[in-house]
Amino acid sequence: MNRRSFFNRAAGAGLALGGGLPALGRRLAAAAAAPNLARVEARYYAKLPDREIECRLCPRLCRLGDKERGYCGVRENDGGTYYSLVYGKVCALNVDPIEKKPFFHVLPGTTAFSLATAGCNVNCKFCQNWEIAQVRPEQVEAYDLSPEAAAARAVSSGCPTIAYTYTEPTVYFEYMYDTAVQAKRRGVRSVVVTGGHINPEPLADLLAVVDAVKVDLKGFTETFYRQYVRGELKPVLETIRAVAKSKAWLEIVALVIPTLNDRPDTVREMCRWIRGEAGDKVPVHFTRFQPMYLVKNLPPTPVSTLEEARQIALEEGLRFVYVGNVPGHEGENTYCPGCGERVIARVGFQSEIVRLKKGQCAKCGTTIPGIWA
Amino acid sequence: MARTRVIVVRSARAWTSGGDPDPAVITRMFARGFALLDGGDDGRAAAAQLFRPDDRIGIKVNTIGGRAISTRPETALALAGWLASNGFPEKNLFVWDRTTRELKGAGYAPAAGRTGVRVFGTDADGLGYGPDLVSHLGVGSLFSKIQTELVTASISLAILKDHGMAGVTAGMKNYFGAIHNPNKYHDSGCDPAVAEVFDAPPIKSRHRLTILDALLVQFHKGPSYHAKWAARYGGLVFSPDPVAADAVGWAIIEKLRAAAGLPTLQDEGRAPVYLRTAAAMGLGQADAAQIETVEETVA
Repeated sequence: MNRRSFFNRAAGAGLALGGGLPALGRRLAAAAAAPNLARVEARYYAKLPDREIECRLCPRLCRLGDKERGYCGVRENDGGTYYSLVYGKVCALNVDPIEKKPFFHVLPGTTAFSLATAGCNVNCKFCQNWEIAQVRPEQVEAYDLSPEAAAARAVSSGCPTIAYTYTEPTVYFEYMYDTAVQAKRRGVRSVVVTGGHINPEPLADLLAVVDAVKVDLKGFTETFYRQYVRGELKPVLETIRAVAKSKAWLEIVALVIPTLNDRPDTVREMCRWIRGEAGDKVPVHFTRFQPMYLVKNLPPTPVSTLEEARQIALEEGLRFVYVGNVPGHEGENTYCPGCGERVIARVGFQSEIVRLKKGQCAKCGTTIPGIWA
Repeated sequence: MARTRVIVVRSARAWTSGGDPDPAVITRMFARGFALLDGGDDGRAAAAQLFRPDDRIGIKVNTIGGRAISTRPETALALAGWLASNGFPEKNLFVWDRTTRELKGAGYAPAAGRTGVRVFGTDADGLGYGPDLVSHLGVGSLFSKIQTELVTASISLAILKDHGMAGVTAGMKNYFGAIHNPNKYHDSGCDPAVAEVFDAPPIKSRHRLTILDALLVQFHKGPSYHAKWAARYGGLVFSPDPVAADAVGWAIIEKLRAAAGLPTLQDEGRAPVYLRTAAAMGLGQADAAQIETVEETVA
């Protein structure tokens, strides 16, 4: 979903940050008149001599002089102290079906109070939300929303979860963490939608306060990550391993882009790795690419390619494999791995539990893993 | 093949005894620099070869370093003044950077009136970034409307500094301030990003001249200011060749580093490799042996 569409949806839900979406250039001018920047000391960094710092939040390990910002553009060294400029500065806010994240095994049919600040620590050439992810915080309008207020708004909106989504929540780690703590106190769960570029220490701390993590596994070669993501594959795999070992629920999304990451042998290798490292019960979503941002020269992914990827995953023993961004496709449904019965029916972001009782198939009793209540 | 000329004009009196740049001396440095671009006689003629009389000339400064280590307002306004007195109307001169806030922080007085030299940031009311992404080589950015719509010719008037990631920040990297997402281009020593941003049509089609503000040079631990490693070099570096100008800027930094007993940028693994890339892309001359540096002193 792009920024325009989710703002439009937000307007419908009464959560819009502004009326409509002016062109980015005009918004930049408006935002710049009084840039709404936070100044909350960042976590996970080392102070170095000569007012330099090293950010240790993500694998980039940005080493920054005074007045410099990290690759993410939202964390700044000021006089040798490192600050988050986006703590509590929400640039996107919406009530979404949780299926949109997508989480298919977390409270189906409910809504997630979904928020984001500006920024990202990679630069995918196919970014779906580049107008908020690939900009600096003063280049978007932001709404002040404290962690306490976010948790309260989630409750008043009837959302059992808060989703940290749209951009890369790692870059607003402090805000996400504090919000998750506040949400937990109010009985609201936290779910994270991430590209997985985060270091082990902050990840471990995060996993202690959130309930589910969806990791975008954008490809399965370092070459792809270097060329199209401007990141690395290895730390993403380490993140998946860590989430799989934690108490948090894990789902994986693989965006399939024609000619770039759709080789069947690579998909098979990826599925084997997932099964070996994360287990056969982790839901894997093969989602359809739409031309966007800097990759507009490729067509949308053929549905047959997604079906082939799904088939490969099933052959490799993964039990919950989905086709995404193809509303109405049978691959959106959840099928019991024991008897093959459809237990959750989905069309787009709508879902209906048809044969699932207390986390088990109503027909054969097989346990369907996930967070169901 | 003729070597590429780069002009270095220095003055021991560029700084007043009070510690500020002397606008009168700097104006004379500009006059001499333009004259040397023409072979030593006629600065006005040199400027006329670079700019049309009706050009709207952007003077892109670098003000991220605040008052301590930015393109000095005294430098930028002296340049504007010299251009205005040599055939280019003040109303067609634009001193700019990415934000008005940073310009103010560096000591500039914003001016957006209908007359006189204009001084403002990309974030000024009614400006901003162009609506369409420019996808060029490895670059995907929005460009400042000042660069794409307001000006027809561009001078990179950059502060010369050591840079922890890029090695050197000078005239080419100054144009990172013309895009909305420079933070995405600092890995791998800013290579090839510096060259690719410069090569993008909004920059390359308008760039006419590089002038490096080397009155005060941060030769180590840049790009932030550290008095211990900042030298009052008292120089301005001129060249229509953006790569050669930066190569000479790099050489100045290395001289200052050597004088301070510091290792070379090469030894520290931070040589500005983007200059070689830029040369390979045909943007200019990076080979010191092919650059003729003409240095003069102004009283």
